[in-house]
Amino acid sequence: MPPRRKRKTTLVEEQTTIPKRSRKESSSRKKNAAYDPLREPFSNKRCQIWFQEYSSDEDGLGPEGMEKFCEDIGVEPENIVMLVIAWKLEAKQMGFFTLDEWLKGMTQLQVDSVIKIRAKLEFLRSLLNDPVLFKQIYRFAYDFARDKDQRSMDIETAKIMLSLLLGRQWVLFSSFHQFLEQSKYKVINKDQWCNILEFSRTINSDLSNYDEDGAWPVMLDEFVEWQRARALS
Amino acid sequence: MVARERRGEVVDRGAVKNACQMLMVLGIDSRAVYEEDFELPFLEQSAEFYRLESQKFLAENSASVYIKKVEARINEEAERATHYLDKSTEEPIVRVLEAELICKHMKTIVEMENSGVVHMLKNNKTDDLGCMYKLFIRVQEGLKTMCECVSGYLREQGKALVTEEEGGNKNAIQYIQDLLDLKDRFDHFLHESFNDDRLFKQTISGDFEYFLNLNNKSPEYLSLFIDDKLKKGVKGMSEQEVEVVLDKAMVLFRFLQEKDVFERYYKQHLAKRLLLNKSVSDDSEKNMISKLKTECGCQFTSKLEGMFKDMTVSNTTMEEFKNHIQTSGTSLHGVDLNVRVLTTGFWPTQSATPKCNVPTQPRNAFEAFRRFYLGKHSGRQLTLQPSLGSADLNASFYAPKKQDSGSSGPQVRKHILQVSSYQMVILMLFNTRENCSYEEIAQETDIPTRDLIRALQSLACGKPTQRVLSKEPKSKEIEPNDAFTVNDHFTSKLHRVKIQTVAAKGESEPERKETRSRVDEDRKHEIEAAIVRIMKSRKRRSHNLLVAEVTEQLKSRFLPSPVVIKKRIENLIEREYLARTPDDRKVYTYVA
Repeated sequence: MPPRRKRKTTLVEEQTTIPKRSRKESSSRKKNAAYDPLREPFSNKRCQIWFQEYSSDEDGLGPEGMEKFCEDIGVEPENIVMLVIAWKLEAKQMGFFTLDEWLKGMTQLQVDSVIKIRAKLEFLRSLLNDPVLFKQIYRFAYDFARDKDQRSMDIETAKIMLSLLLGRQWVLFSSFHQFLEQSKYKVINKDQWCNILEFSRTINSDLSNYDEDGAWPVMLDEFVEWQRARALS
Repeated sequence: MVARERRGEVVDRGAVKNACQMLMVLGIDSRAVYEEDFELPFLEQSAEFYRLESQKFLAENSASVYIKKVEARINEEAERATHYLDKSTEEPIVRVLEAELICKHMKTIVEMENSGVVHMLKNNKTDDLGCMYKLFIRVQEGLKTMCECVSGYLREQGKALVTEEEGGNKNAIQYIQDLLDLKDRFDHFLHESFNDDRLFKQTISGDFEYFLNLNNKSPEYLSLFIDDKLKKGVKGMSEQEVEVVLDKAMVLFRFLQEKDVFERYYKQHLAKRLLLNKSVSDDSEKNMISKLKTECGCQFTSKLEGMFKDMTVSNTTMEEFKNHIQTSGTSLHGVDLNVRVLTTGFWPTQSATPKCNVPTQPRNAFEAFRRFYLGKHSGRQLTLQPSLGSADLNASFYAPKKQDSGSSGPQVRKHILQVSSYQMVILMLFNTRENCSYEEIAQETDIPTRDLIRALQSLACGKPTQRVLSKEPKSKEIEPNDAFTVNDHFTSKLHRVKIQTVAAKGESEPERKETRSRVDEDRKHEIEAAIVRIMKSRKRRSHNLLVAEVTEQLKSRFLPSPVVIKKRIENLIEREYLARTPDDRKVYTYVA
């Protein structure tokens, strides 16, 4: 719960930033000092109207809307918390939200306004600390970010996504990135993707516990070989 | 006293015998007294004696002499024990001898330069090897020591036979013959010296398997060897002898790891034999196929048998065609046509049917056949394969023979030329004009370059009795600027002249690479099929077990590497035939 002081300020902000469209609602509401937009019960209608600030047509929110959305909530589009939000919304395509996805996801989060979602950002970010949830988000990221016309994710997108997801906590990430750069791989398939996470979690940074019989994808066998050769030279 | 006797002196055996018996009796019910007072010191003393003797012997004698001496000593001691020591001493004393004379010096004997195992093998000293075998079999590790040495020598010999430089083209037939001779030599040793001992047998087989597969052209060479024996004109061998050689070749076949490569080459060579009518007999061909069937099962040979069937069916079809021609009065444009219809799946395929501009006459004749055939078998497709056919051409040469003097005028010499289809196409160009340049020929015939060059070389650059065309300039190589004319001075003693196609016995390097890549493609499919088969029945399998099972299933055809299998598994996961189990990524499940 944010301290009283803050609430007053947000209250003030809220009053000035409440978009004109919600005038209907605010007029029917009693304007009193105890008004806390965060405590307002979730309203499906409000959620939908909020969506319409960003959506370009009946159904969806596209890259422009997404940009505005990010601005509103104070998060850069490349920030990992955007991925968590997309995951919560079960969004299919990166850069897009459909009305259905929005409603379902936001309802689950009990969020129907910018201020409410801003309050939840820390919480959403914290989900990444749970290994089980992280794995789900990581796996989700693959289908989310790949080009739907292809079965596999192209290597450039993969490098970006891997950097986002594993860049900070996996010691070997920069080496792996280099390996991919000099390799001939043009795509990464889902199996390789999932195994990269497993690898990052179970294999030591000196590769001492890597077992060749461990049914790792050939790509990772090659990475280990490459890395070991580098260590020798 | 025993020591004295060993040194060759005569002693009173009776006295010794009595002494021993007395000691035995003293011990009443046990041998303890005998043992303590006599046997033990006796054995110790003997050990010492023989230790010295063995060192002396080894220093002075060759391995074979030493062995014979050892044998003699053992017999002597055994006899001594029987005669006047207590019988129960025989075994321990022999063991002492074995330990001192054999065990301690095994390696030295075996490896003795100029007289050890290697020397014996090199010089075919079958008897000496036999003696050594009989001796060494007494001690533990004795045979193993010998066998290791034999194996080392064999591997060295084998390796020398199979090694060739990069790009070198060994004579396939010599290559295989040398290997067969080597096998014969060692089979002889195995039987005569080593008593068909199982350890030796297994080691020899293992060694052959090892070095035969060092050279990846071995499958091709073996097929060429067999091809040579099945062709007409096999020199100086009776049918029985050929049979024996083929059986020996089958032994080598069993050692091949890449049997699928052999299959591919065998098919190619068989196709050539059948189509060019070079088989010595159908029976010997079928005999060979049944040998392969026994080794590898029907899958291997079903296509080969299909090829035979095609030949028989084609003959019948031609009969019917000939009747049809007569009754319907269709014109074949002066061409005596013989068509063989090959079922695509059975015969070795080219990657794509090479183009060729067949001249009008033969083309029309073929069309007549095509109409006839498709009338009988609608729904089939016929494609002419110009690379496989042959033709007999009537040729007239209009210049007088060079040796002829006082001839009355230009003579016309007629010959029948037996040529390949490509050569026919080339030669018929000269019906309409005198000179053709290489470029013109290439353009008008549309024959693929490599085949065109080969065909022209055999027509223009071969022996004088084969040179139907003259080439300017008269070099051995075909260059784009070469010009060709009919060689009117062509002569031959034979009326019917067969033009040999300049064909390399083995494949050229690019052809070999292509064959190899096709083999690899096929293997990928076979591995995937095996994986799917196994997973379908097992439903769940861990990675290592799956790889092991796949290898097991395929080993009669080739040895798949675990990396390749892994790649195929990954590919199947991507295509959603398999999946990893969520709880253990090392275990796969079959996705229905």
